[in-house]
Amino acid sequence: MQPVTLTINRQEVSGHPGMTILELARESGINIPTICHHAKLAPIGACRFCLVENEQNGALLASCVTPIAPGMIINTESPRVLEHRKMILKLILASHPDSCLVCDKGNQCQLRLLAADLGIGLIELDRIPQPAVTEEVNPFIVRDMSKCILCARCIRACQELVIEGALDYFGRGFKAKPATLNNFPLEYSECTFCGTCVALCPTGALMEKEALYRGAIGDAVQTTCPYCGCGCSISLEIKDNQVARVKPAFEEQDNQEALCVKGSYGCDFIHSPKRLTKPLIKVNGDFQEASWEEALAVVAGAFNKIKKEHGADSLAVLGSANCTNEENYLLQMFARCVLGTNNIDNGSSLYYNATLRAFSESFGFPGITHSLKDLEQAEVILLIGASPEASAPLVNYLIKRAVKLRGAKLIVIDPRRTKLTFFADCWLQPKVGTDLALLNSLAKVIIEENLIDHEFVARKTDKFQLLAEILGNYPLEMGEAVTGVGVEQIRQAARLYAAAGKAAIIYGTGITQQALGVESVKALINLTLLTGNIWRKGGGLHALQRDCNAQGACDMGALPDYLPGYQHVGEAEARNIFETRWDVILPSTPGAGALEIIRQSREGKIKGLYITGENPLAGFPQAALVKEALATLEFLVVQDLFLTETAKLAKVVLPAAGFAEKEGTFTNLEGKVQVIRKAIDPVGESMPDWEIILQLAGAMGKPLPFSSLQQVMDEIRELVPLYRNDRETNAPEEEDLWDTRFDYKLPLKTFPGFSLAEYAPPAGAPDDSYPYILLAETSLYRSGSGVRSTNSRRLSKYSSSFKLRINEVDAQKMGLSSGDQVRVVSPDGQLQAAVEITGSLPEGTVALPRSVPEHPVTGLFSSLPEAAAKTSARKTCYVRIERS
Amino acid sequence: MNKEKDVQIDWTRLHEIIAEYGDEKWSLIPMLQKIQNEFGYIPPQAIPVIADKLKLFPSEVQGVISFYAQLYTEPRGKKTVRVCRGTACHVRGGKTILKLVKQHLGIDEGETTDDLEYTLETVACIGVCALAPSMVIDQHVHGRMNPKKVGQLFKQKGEQHEST
Ligand code: SF4
Ligand code: SF4
Ligand code: SF4
Ligand code: FES
Repeated sequence: MQPVTLTINRQEVSGHPGMTILELARESGINIPTICHHAKLAPIGACRFCLVENEQNGALLASCVTPIAPGMIINTESPRVLEHRKMILKLILASHPDSCLVCDKGNQCQLRLLAADLGIGLIELDRIPQPAVTEEVNPFIVRDMSKCILCARCIRACQELVIEGALDYFGRGFKAKPATLNNFPLEYSECTFCGTCVALCPTGALMEKEALYRGAIGDAVQTTCPYCGCGCSISLEIKDNQVARVKPAFEEQDNQEALCVKGSYGCDFIHSPKRLTKPLIKVNGDFQEASWEEALAVVAGAFNKIKKEHGADSLAVLGSANCTNEENYLLQMFARCVLGTNNIDNGSSLYYNATLRAFSESFGFPGITHSLKDLEQAEVILLIGASPEASAPLVNYLIKRAVKLRGAKLIVIDPRRTKLTFFADCWLQPKVGTDLALLNSLAKVIIEENLIDHEFVARKTDKFQLLAEILGNYPLEMGEAVTGVGVEQIRQAARLYAAAGKAAIIYGTGITQQALGVESVKALINLTLLTGNIWRKGGGLHALQRDCNAQGACDMGALPDYLPGYQHVGEAEARNIFETRWDVILPSTPGAGALEIIRQSREGKIKGLYITGENPLAGFPQAALVKEALATLEFLVVQDLFLTETAKLAKVVLPAAGFAEKEGTFTNLEGKVQVIRKAIDPVGESMPDWEIILQLAGAMGKPLPFSSLQQVMDEIRELVPLYRNDRETNAPEEEDLWDTRFDYKLPLKTFPGFSLAEYAPPAGAPDDSYPYILLAETSLYRSGSGVRSTNSRRLSKYSSSFKLRINEVDAQKMGLSSGDQVRVVSPDGQLQAAVEITGSLPEGTVALPRSVPEHPVTGLFSSLPEAAAKTSARKTCYVRIERS
Repeated sequence: MNKEKDVQIDWTRLHEIIAEYGDEKWSLIPMLQKIQNEFGYIPPQAIPVIADKLKLFPSEVQGVISFYAQLYTEPRGKKTVRVCRGTACHVRGGKTILKLVKQHLGIDEGETTDDLEYTLETVACIGVCALAPSMVIDQHVHGRMNPKKVGQLFKQKGEQHEST
């Protein structure tokens, strides 16, 4: 393409055709002030503030929407331009209210900055009367449309970036304003309080509500969101050693431009008055504050004593999907080298185990195949058993962008009507828990209708014949009978998926937390192998992860059977590397996983437990049994930000520093290693988890060989194959490789095998006494076991109620109306909730939110599984509903 | 504005109309026009249904409706009263006429009487300045308005309002 050459401010510059004058000017270091333009939004040329003069013909052009043309002679600061610019700003200010001086946007207001630049002070124009502030009761966002300058950034943010469509223009001419449907307050609209519009609004028309600080802010620190596995880049604005505000880090290279409500407004847990500030030791049933020396001495003494009396395997460690990679690395070292046991796991194994196991059996390594960026190329996206709108909001935005802006096709497999079913071209509603049967049916259609990628299947896969044979004998009508999805619909979905050049699959806990979790993930793998999508960019499998560092915790070996980098503890060669470095003999038999640790604690086999950043009492099935198990322990130490329900049972509680108070890295759900930066000092006497672990090892008389965090990072880079390279600079460019994890140079199996498991109805199928299926739903406003979201003032304020969602027909049958109190009873427990009637659930299915520590829905699920069956259904169970 | 007029809408017919159109985005305006022609306005409850069909956001559909002066989201009266507020009418007491009409009908500009008889609007100029002050009821121009004439035109109406 011929470059276009022109002059800007007497300087000869050239750019590629299609560039706007603004883009080229900025690239050439020439600043043109703008208002409605934003690099992340489609330009609309609404404000005309970016005017420049073409001295060739005297035309005034809006530079943000005018493409460059050869020979243009652009002046960005001619007298005419300046005069116009001033006039525009004056006009805008004329309709701006007098409350400017007390406006919270303060010196972040672009309008004020521009006015100062142009030397505009008092406005001599007549004021235009303006509408009043909209009353909103939500604790996140406040709107004052009298300050709106109609730049439409908020509308574009809502329609182009997060695609919620809560806002659009309402009215014409002077009366036009961005508004919700029926001009209602935000809380009655589609708004999810992601805060993107607020971050982009150039004036005080949209502002953060109940912020900790008002007005001017000092520094900003770029770091990573501590909530879900998406790992959005956030910018923490700091004032007086407090995190005053959180914004999307637009400048960050890889940031995906928008946060969700948890990232934008949920980080206020950092300054919750409930934060632990001192170590606590339980004396006669009551906690007493103690010094670090005392507390660590008590822990070290107890662990050493138990180890001596009962052996290393009577101790166990529960690591954290919310702690950094370095901390998890140290934690597994602590378990293996200091305690001498493989009894270590992290909370993500409750939902991630199925993926790890299925992937390692099929591909030879557990991990990730594709990056989120690949979704930009997908022609078809198949979403199954996942609620990204709640559990991984960024992925939700990416799916919607693909559909709405790019015309990608979406297949949603979900019994519930969700916000994403609105975007779906094909929506299958299988009966709860029957996904495996549906997936096998899809595979059958793909084979039967010859929609397979023959070359790929022949050259790169194994055991195809076996699969084809078994599925050959499997009538689709059986699939229909089991799943309730019609044969024709099954065929349609299969064709849509298989016919696409690039089709990606996204799945979540609806798959992995089923009783047949591993088998279902393998069935998904079958689909990607049959169609060759596993190998393509824009294809692949994406597993959603609820916690910010679920991937990292597993990568680092906070697992009972794997050393860092998924090197099995049973392999002498792998052990050898670490034994040489650490100068120890490592235990070689796999230890107890998370649930097994609880089970063995209850049996008295495990006597001492070290929990960091997990809250099993709220997050694990069977709260009552977990409580019993933890109470049985001889010694429990809990390290956390808050005095959780779990921590209350401990003998010693150690105060940990939060993500904003320490350094380290998180690995997000696509395997991207991202930096956590320290923004403020630790609250009270709390310490980063890594420091605590190091000090504890020292107190036990077996110090770990590190004196700084950097040394830990260096060792990870050296010894963990997945992290061996500096991935930021070494990401491969080749188009057709699995780019996220392939550069880890792991011994990928060349011939991933097909495997088939047949659907079996779950044990304890509904009988008359438990006629409903209960779904545990993820809520956008809550996260993980709810420790941080409950302690976020604004998040908990907004979602304090605990409601049982129930279909209108079922409600009618039982004579229930909204707000009625009911008891939800399962064979294993019961909970109290208020009724909320909905049209989005099928009949016979009810739903409760998870991550509410005061009402742990996991308490309704069946008892701890036996050692062999590591996954059990934790997503659904059978219940009955009684009035209370 | 958001006066709740308890109007039942014919959902069956509404769905029928919506079903007549394809799901291309450009179907929106013709579909809205057709709905307005049959219902006399676009029931706000219909917006989410239309949006769902065209895969648009409800707020987007509302934005389009609010952009066109000729599309309404409130039921319209059988007759539309348009009082002129052009210069000629203004100097000859157009403002008083408007006030009187409002009083008689018991509604404000842009509103519709509860019995769905009248909708009141103002217009910039209806081009019969010679007859100022003037107003139009449906297609009929009423010129040289005065309080008495207003009273006569809306006699029945006014009485009804007093008795309710
Ligand atoms: S609210 Fe803010 S972002 Fe939206 S149009 Fe008004 S000034 Fe622009
Ligand atoms: S907060 Fe997010 S969802 Fe709500 S209006 Fe703004 S951009 Fe839209
Ligand atoms: S999508 Fe996830 S990572 Fe991004 S802001 Fe929300 S919770 Fe944080
Ligand atoms: S910035 Fe170019 S028109 Fe607004």
